[in-house]
Amino acid sequence: MRVVVAEDLFLLRDGLTRLLAAHQFEIAAAVDSAPGLLCALLEHRPDVAVVDVRLPPAFADDGLQAALAARREVPGLPVLLLSQYVEQLYARELLADQAGAVGYLLKDRVFSDEAFVDAIKTVAGGGTVMDPEVVTKLLGRRSRDEPINRLSGREREVLELMAEGRSNTAIAQRLYITEKAVSKHTTSIFIKLGLAADQDDNRRVLAVLAYLNS
Amino acid sequence: MLIILLWRIITRLARRLGLGALLVPVSAMGMALAGVHLWTVVLVLIAVAVVLRKPLLAAALLPLSMVSAGLAGLAVAATAPGGPAGWVVNVFAKPLRFTSLAALSAGPMWVKGGGTVTAVGGKGGGSVTVLAPPGQYLAPPFQGKWQALHAIVVRQYQAVHAAAVRQSWAVRGGPAKPIRAVLGKIPPKGWLPPGPPKAPVASQFSMPSVSPPVGWWQGRLLVPVALLLLTLGLWLAPRMLRGVRPRVAARMPELRRWLAANRWALLLPPVVAIGMAAFGVRPWTIAAVIAAVILVIRWPVIAADVVPFALAALAAVGYLIAARWQSAPGFYQHPMFYGPVLVDGPKSAIAAGAEASAFLALGAWLVPRTIGAHLRTTFGGAPDPDLAGRVQRLTETRGHAVDAAAAELRRIERDLHDGAQARLVALGMNLRAVERVLPGSPNAALALVAEARETSVRALNELRDLIRGICPPVLADRGLGHAVQALVLDTPMPTTLDIDLPGRLSAPVESACYFAVAEALANAVKHSGARHAAIRIHHKAGVLRIQVADDGAGGADPAQGTGLLGVERRLGTFDGILAVSSPPGGPTIIAMEVPCELLSPKTSSY
Repeated sequence: MRVVVAEDLFLLRDGLTRLLAAHQFEIAAAVDSAPGLLCALLEHRPDVAVVDVRLPPAFADDGLQAALAARREVPGLPVLLLSQYVEQLYARELLADQAGAVGYLLKDRVFSDEAFVDAIKTVAGGGTVMDPEVVTKLLGRRSRDEPINRLSGREREVLELMAEGRSNTAIAQRLYITEKAVSKHTTSIFIKLGLAADQDDNRRVLAVLAYLNS
Repeated sequence: MLIILLWRIITRLARRLGLGALLVPVSAMGMALAGVHLWTVVLVLIAVAVVLRKPLLAAALLPLSMVSAGLAGLAVAATAPGGPAGWVVNVFAKPLRFTSLAALSAGPMWVKGGGTVTAVGGKGGGSVTVLAPPGQYLAPPFQGKWQALHAIVVRQYQAVHAAAVRQSWAVRGGPAKPIRAVLGKIPPKGWLPPGPPKAPVASQFSMPSVSPPVGWWQGRLLVPVALLLLTLGLWLAPRMLRGVRPRVAARMPELRRWLAANRWALLLPPVVAIGMAAFGVRPWTIAAVIAAVILVIRWPVIAADVVPFALAALAAVGYLIAARWQSAPGFYQHPMFYGPVLVDGPKSAIAAGAEASAFLALGAWLVPRTIGAHLRTTFGGAPDPDLAGRVQRLTETRGHAVDAAAAELRRIERDLHDGAQARLVALGMNLRAVERVLPGSPNAALALVAEARETSVRALNELRDLIRGICPPVLADRGLGHAVQALVLDTPMPTTLDIDLPGRLSAPVESACYFAVAEALANAVKHSGARHAAIRIHHKAGVLRIQVADDGAGGADPAQGTGLLGVERRLGTFDGILAVSSPPGGPTIIAMEVPCELLSPKTSSY
């Protein structure tokens, strides 16, 4: 699987490429600036890009802007953004095109490399991965009288994991319940939120995120 | 059919325009009190225009006009002849003008062939007819019998005039009453010169109705209707004013700034109005008052400088009026109003003189505060009070800024010390422990390493929160508009946003404004019990205006130690101001204003 890595700090960039190489990813390019990233993305058309939000030249959200620009050129180009912060505003912009194949994680998540590699693979496969912190905030800002408060505790947990982009299998493992129980919960969630049920994992995540973002 | 159609049109209009549409009938009723004049018709037409063009303003004006119409009705009832305050005469009564008769006191006058001297009053005035021998000059100084004639005419004139002023309400209300009665028996016998005409000198005076009768409701219905309007107006006021409050609150900082700089200018319209009242309500006196108001609005500094002159002129008018009554009776002694005093005799003239002295003293007191201050500014010399005030304000805000920066540094130091630093120490100790136990028991070492990783995550989280408190990432990346948008996304209260900010601001201003909005919004969430908040950020003509409103319980007070005082100080560093409007029961509106320029138009780098 071919990856483009964009990170301006040498140590982190080096660490990332090592980590990815160790998991049998092919590093197509490792760049340190936003213009470099845009060129690399359009030239190499990688299977997935791992991008730091804050990049030169402006050290603002250049990485995000370059990724969004590349996705406008190549719709659905898989991009996983890493950042020291997660901002709902940026999560919204990433999700706005409804094409999926996006991820948005805190840099800390790199620490648990299996989960991180899983996330990269999910994004590369067209899935959506949101940092738990984004999901918590999305759920937290709902006001009291919304349908989301009719969910049971377990349903809420399933919804959170679903919004992070996990498959039914992963959710079942995480919560120590059967896959059948998970699909029962998801059906119930979709009914309570008034969403059209969908068996496709990716479309399901997008539906949930769109609902939470509305 | 027609009635149904009319009813539909009326209900549809009422729905579209709201209760404010009532402004038209209410103002029309109020104006009917003053009679159908050009200006009352114009005012009613203005009311119609306001209802159609600015329904919100009409809704706000409705209770005001109801209250004022009610008060005016009560005043009319009270001052009507026989009413509890019947002695108060109408300020707006037109003084009668005896132009040709007044000339008697000044110059010679030809007695016409018919032997009559006819003095005709102005519009709706009256006439005094004096019969005198034909073919003679009446010229001052009047000697002998002519002096007697002169004195009689003057007395008649004064009596007629004073009675007219006093009874003006009666005159206005109904058909004119002949005032001949007050003239007494004239002429006295035996003074008339020989020769034709033999007819006695007679004097008569009559006044036609100045304005048409007020109508059915001036009688017994006046007091109940006035009370009803007053109560309704007072009941409606808080409800109707709610709509305009956000706009008023948004303008409050500006108003406060204006008042601080130009408060003396506000004296000009009342001073001019008092002076003009002495001449009665005429087109040119109204124009003078309007001109004064325009001067205050457009050129407040000039208006402030004019105030002492206007007061001096007003005092001069007062002295002249007072002086008139100290000499022998004459046509120049018109009873007239000077301020609240009706000057109609030597005693009231003294009161007018005292009033004039007060005006003069006020004018003198204002000279150093208006003209003096402006002259000093223009020609140097003494320190400019404005500049001194500015220096004081800058010293204050600089002190606040330095204090705030020091406090902020202390907070950061403490947070780092208790948070990240402590975690790093723990991390080091953990790793040291790993070193020790690794050769012996790898499992224990593994647990320690997991713990160390957990600690590093916590340290990172704390650093993240700390940095967010210093400068939120979106603010640094994208500026105020997006940062507030992100803030709203993280706020658990439905909040509407209205942002018009076509560029970035300087970083310190952005930061101060962001934390101001964050503080206001946090207060709304924590204390107000509001269900909804609204944020409005607009930049126009070099001024950033921010408004944070919520529909909560109100009662916010910057002096009560919420973070608003800190916000006010922080904004003060940039000459920004903060105004809080938060009556008990809400809603709360926090308006901020910071003068600042846009750095660059918003551009996307890709």
